[in-house]
Amino acid sequence: MTTDVQDGTQALRAGVGDVLLDVRDLRTHFKVMDGLVKAVDGVSFSVRKGGRLALVGESGCGKSVTALSIMRLIETPPGIFAGGEIMFNGRDLLRLSDAEIRKVRGGQIAMIFQEPMTSLNPVLTVGAQLTEAILLHQETDKKGARRIAQKALEDVGVADARRRLDQYPHELSGGMRQRVMIAMALSCNPALIIADEPTTALDVTIQRQILELIKDIQTRTGAALLLITHDLGVVAETVDDVAVMYAGRVVETGSVDEVLLRPRHPYTRGLLESIPSQGKRGKRLSVIKGMVPNPFRMPPGCKFQPRCPYQWDDCGTGEPALISLDESISSRCFLHDPRFRDRLAAYDSPMGDPA
Amino acid sequence: MGEQNGAPAASAAGESGEDAYIRAEVEELEASPDYDVALESLGQWELAWRRFRKHRMAIVGSALFLTMVIAGVVGPFIMPFDLYKIPYPDIIDSFGRGPMLTHPFGETARLQWDVLMLVVNGTRLSLLIGVLASLIATIIGTIVGGISGYFGGWLDTILMRIVDSLLTLPLLFIVLVFTKFLGSGNWLSVTIIFGLFGWLGIARLVRAVLLSLREEDYVDAARAAGVGNLRIIFRHLMPNALSPIIVATTLSVAGVIIGEAFVSFLGFGVGPETPTLGNILSGSQDTIINGNWWWAFFPGAAIVVIVLGINFMGDGLRDALDPRAKI
Repeated sequence: MTTDVQDGTQALRAGVGDVLLDVRDLRTHFKVMDGLVKAVDGVSFSVRKGGRLALVGESGCGKSVTALSIMRLIETPPGIFAGGEIMFNGRDLLRLSDAEIRKVRGGQIAMIFQEPMTSLNPVLTVGAQLTEAILLHQETDKKGARRIAQKALEDVGVADARRRLDQYPHELSGGMRQRVMIAMALSCNPALIIADEPTTALDVTIQRQILELIKDIQTRTGAALLLITHDLGVVAETVDDVAVMYAGRVVETGSVDEVLLRPRHPYTRGLLESIPSQGKRGKRLSVIKGMVPNPFRMPPGCKFQPRCPYQWDDCGTGEPALISLDESISSRCFLHDPRFRDRLAAYDSPMGDPA
Repeated sequence: MGEQNGAPAASAAGESGEDAYIRAEVEELEASPDYDVALESLGQWELAWRRFRKHRMAIVGSALFLTMVIAGVVGPFIMPFDLYKIPYPDIIDSFGRGPMLTHPFGETARLQWDVLMLVVNGTRLSLLIGVLASLIATIIGTIVGGISGYFGGWLDTILMRIVDSLLTLPLLFIVLVFTKFLGSGNWLSVTIIFGLFGWLGIARLVRAVLLSLREEDYVDAARAAGVGNLRIIFRHLMPNALSPIIVATTLSVAGVIIGEAFVSFLGFGVGPETPTLGNILSGSQDTIINGNWWWAFFPGAAIVVIVLGINFMGDGLRDALDPRAKI
């Protein structure tokens, strides 16, 4: 386990070797009536082949938009790809033609959506929806596609798969539907699976099964996993690396162990402190004060500064860079800027050692 | 609950009044014909059919419409009179004779055609024109509306402005002008003209439906699986939009039949050599003052029955296909 994590962080840090997906300085903006919303503004991260990365953050932090940008499912207009690149297997997905990106979608990158109840078309049978993707991306006939679909359903643990193929989505339960979505995602052997909050709409008991299933499928097929979630518990159980997003930026990134056990960025700390746990029984739960900033009135400087318990005078002037603290973690905070080394000393050390 | 020896004793004899009542309820439920159906999950179409069956007006309308369809399809073959042979009446009466046993709908004036024979032939052609023109209109309207609603943006703006400007033209005059152009009197050209100008409403309807359907999650899921836009429109979204399209197409059949009757009556539609319900009426107008009411009445009644039938049926379909309606 530990070595595994080490490997992951190496690739994450170095950004070389067998990197599958490399998002560099992605900027996805939306032109709306009231102005420009910079939903994603300079996000960078990478996923190595077979690796597992989670994007974590509150609603509206830009994590789903990042995922949809990778799939090029952002409608333009109103969306604008204002900058950056998304390198996947050496090709910039943002520069592919519509026909080329359609080959990538479903074939090389598959996506599992948040709402299994509404992500399947109610008027088409499960089999029709599964075989459609298979026929699009694989050299096979209808019969062969049906066989592959049935195999995929069996792989995700759907009992009586042959009969399920002829059923309509309304005849399946929520967990079953999410299994169908996962079967659809893995039926074409993608190199990367993007799971956008795959368990949010499910019961707690089913959540666990689905997470285990995704992890299991991911290790069995060797596909890389990009997990989008707001649930830090899910993160701890499922991935190797994590990138915490706030207001359209990555504010902290590193291995799961480092980020969850020794968070460096004040925002990550706030998130972790707001989770109820056994040790906090009877105490008041701490919260991050304030609100997510209005996208039309982003604070100058550090975007978290208005809510930050560690704020300093000049936090509002310049925006901190993503500072690499050691090979397994980096944080976007002035506290970790070597120029302001003395500040960290002003707080008793839970912020971690910047050395 | 005075029962001392517990649940197993609740046999027929020791049953309390409440238990007996529940048992009777369950038995009644199991005996009802819908019981087995209720256990299975009902598909969209089965549910719609159950609602349609319970809609009295829809059943009456369908019966009227079906009767006319059968009359139009079968009638011309079992008639003892031939449309293409000039009749040889046993008694010459240039005003035509009224309803009698051998001619239940009477005879026309002048050549003394059998009106029933004209009505069944006219019904056949009127229905054919109505259905064909509505199908053409539905196909065009679905394509234009589907593309417009799904893609939105400038394409939508252009297509909808075209629809708007076509809607400002009075359909009747277009038909009058075009039938003169495309060889007046030919029923096929009349059909095509009604089809080519009847799609505007359906295009608007389909566009409106697709505007909301395209926001569904399964559209994103299909796109994420690599499905192309046209396939999403016509394979994934159209089946979801089918209910309003079916209703609109059905009602449009009635509209075309009336429109065709109107222009044919005015002498701009289908020529008198091929009778439609409209041009039969057109021939009748000179002699109606001589007391020959049956020549006008029966084809007119046929139009009323067909159109009423379709409209009742369409209303029933609208209610039956509405997923929010209760069974």
